[in-house]
Amino acid sequence: MSKELRFLIVDDFSTMRRIVRNLLKESGYADADEAEDGVVALQKLRNSTFDFVVSDINMPNMNGFQLLSEIKKDDKLKHLPVLMVTAEARKEDIVMAAQQGAAGYIVKPFTKATLEDKVNHILTKMGLK
Amino acid sequence: MSTENPTSTSDDAAHGALNELSDVRLATALEVHNQLGALTRQLHDSLNGLGLAAKVKDWAGELPDAKSRLSYIARLTGEAAEKVLNQVDQAKAQHDFIASETQRIGALIVKDPVAAVAKGHVMNFIHDVEGASKKVDQHLTEIMMAQDFHDLTGQVIAKVVNLAATIEEQLVLLLIKTAPPDAPVKQVSHEPYVPALDGPVVDGSGNPDVVTDQSQVDDLLASLGF
Repeated sequence: MSKELRFLIVDDFSTMRRIVRNLLKESGYADADEAEDGVVALQKLRNSTFDFVVSDINMPNMNGFQLLSEIKKDDKLKHLPVLMVTAEARKEDIVMAAQQGAAGYIVKPFTKATLEDKVNHILTKMGLK
Repeated sequence: MSTENPTSTSDDAAHGALNELSDVRLATALEVHNQLGALTRQLHDSLNGLGLAAKVKDWAGELPDAKSRLSYIARLTGEAAEKVLNQVDQAKAQHDFIASETQRIGALIVKDPVAAVAKGHVMNFIHDVEGASKKVDQHLTEIMMAQDFHDLTGQVIAKVVNLAATIEEQLVLLLIKTAPPDAPVKQVSHEPYVPALDGPVVDGSGNPDVVTDQSQVDDLLASLGF
């Protein structure tokens, strides 16, 4: 039996964190923790072990781009896939996220199928599924 | 007999009074006009003095944007409410079906348990309940997904509130600047405005710089080799 993957959901809106958490659970990924911004997320990532990050972009204190950048600069964290789930729909933001190393990009509002597809695609690509 | 025409005298007096009234009105109008002109000049000079003229232009541009943002909120919350009510209706229909089928199969089992099983009524019931439960679960997921309006409208509301706060702050500065010298003035702190990211696309039609759905995101990333 494969190890259960652990997700970190980063979003300043608790409603959205719950939605993503429930959707991941429905897709078979029940082990998840939450963070309300990039600062808290980075602390949790450095103090615990995670396999996947789902992050919003527009957040206070440290936004999703800054979090992504910090993750990719950290030797212990840079392997982590980061899926951006955001309302930011400018093409330049999407391109910037990809160039910074985001594993995927979902624009809100999204469907359960979209989240499931992207997560599974990334995990398959990384050999984690 | 007097040659003076009383009607003519009365007309002249009325005419004179009208002329006087007209003069007074004209003088008042001129005075109001001059005052308005002075106020406008004062406002213009104050705005320029404070470096606000450009900001006023920005506000003029942002206010219609605020209006469309508020319309977006109204639309999104309306759609979410509609979606939830529709999903609840459909979930309740499935629930009613399960309830009535449970009663029906219960009666069949009480009447003749062997026949209920042998004729397949019990297995059919189990199959039907399984299907209905799955549909109810899908409706519940849709109801949950409809709550994403909270995040999207929250971001838009924050932007509108930010605009209102900026305008208020600048107007307070203007008031301070134009207050009489002896008027008590309370110092206000001037927090630098930190622009947020763009947030949800309120109206993406005709804007080539934004995507409007997930397929456009996927196409863009694919075109870049990601």
